[in-house]
Amino acid sequence: MDKNWDVIIIGGGPAGLAAGVYCGRALRKTLVLEKKVFGGQIVFADIIENYPGFAEPIVPADLMEQMSRQCERYGVVLENDEVQGLRKEGDSWLVDVYQNTYTAKAILYAAGSMHRFLGVPGEQELLGRGVSVCATCDAPFFLERKVAVLGGGDTALSEALHLAKFAAEVTLIHRRDKFRAEKILQARVFKNEKIKIVWDSEVLAFKGGQHLEALEIRNKKSGVVETVAFDGAFMAIGTIPNTELLKNIVRLDENGYVVTDISLRTEAQGLFVAGEVIKGNRRQVAISVGMGVQAALGCEEYLAALE
Amino acid sequence: MAEIISVNDGNFESFIQGSRMVIVDFWAPTCMPCRLMEPGLEKIAANHAENVRVLKVNVNENPKTSSRYFVRTLPTLLFIKDGQVRTQIVGAVNPVQIEKTLSEVS
Repeated sequence: MDKNWDVIIIGGGPAGLAAGVYCGRALRKTLVLEKKVFGGQIVFADIIENYPGFAEPIVPADLMEQMSRQCERYGVVLENDEVQGLRKEGDSWLVDVYQNTYTAKAILYAAGSMHRFLGVPGEQELLGRGVSVCATCDAPFFLERKVAVLGGGDTALSEALHLAKFAAEVTLIHRRDKFRAEKILQARVFKNEKIKIVWDSEVLAFKGGQHLEALEIRNKKSGVVETVAFDGAFMAIGTIPNTELLKNIVRLDENGYVVTDISLRTEAQGLFVAGEVIKGNRRQVAISVGMGVQAALGCEEYLAALE
Repeated sequence: MAEIISVNDGNFESFIQGSRMVIVDFWAPTCMPCRLMEPGLEKIAANHAENVRVLKVNVNENPKTSSRYFVRTLPTLLFIKDGQVRTQIVGAVNPVQIEKTLSEVS
């Protein structure tokens, strides 16, 4: 495999792949590196209904496979590998992967985000043994069982609706007294007889031995703590940006997000950002795609100026 | 060229015996990350045709095997040798990481 590239895109989700299409069409030698699966976190969802241009719900994995193929059509190379280090030497960016180092004239950083956890007792110990981050992956294990979904955004409500097709009962546990999810998802949740909502509450502990057995839940208003039996708990309490690699390169805010403007440039010459690493992102495929395009166009302008 | 072998509750046991390293991919049709990991696993099955066997178990149709190994999350990869689980990977990973784990446990 080639070691020298015009553009290396770090992250193969909606932002990275959309950027890939534009870099490829700008005839730039482009490599997209993805550490997990191409498509990003959206492929964990069962359907996507709000991506403009599709009247019927579509399967996110299908959409993202199309985006991958669209990249490849324009000569972009997609490679599954994990970036271990990123640094600049002279005018070149150096990207260390497991067993190789690549160089690039520009970097488009679209590494997305990872699931946030509560950091309470039992959570990590029971991860994969009842505690889950992917309803479409794990719903079949909870056929006719009792599950909880933690969170109140689009992901939490979508997961609850998906789980309701399998589980006997789904309980949405939310720390506030209203959801911030799309109103259409809220309406479906309120109408679904299998979904119960526990407002103003937080999970203090995940209990169980070989697998999850119960959650310790505290009502924030009354202060009452209860232990409630659950077979599964799905985490949808938000995300943390994957910006560890940028720590010594650009200024990050207190939560680890990159602060930038609509140019999607950073203070490091030749480093552009897109998607969920950016402060104020709203976790929508359509927005990430748009940001990927915007960053790729900025990147192209930068490369053209170098020539 | 070795391919991934689809096994079930009935014949699973016969495939994990012996000194050859076995990777078991627990999956379900609804699990999209599982689907996207498959090309990588196919590559591993082909690259290590001599000494590694790659199996896949559909958890929807084979509850006995998945509960025997306490699989509650997909995708889950088990690395089995001499009938014993040496390690496991839970969640979506890339083929490079699978290769790395393979060399650690082989």
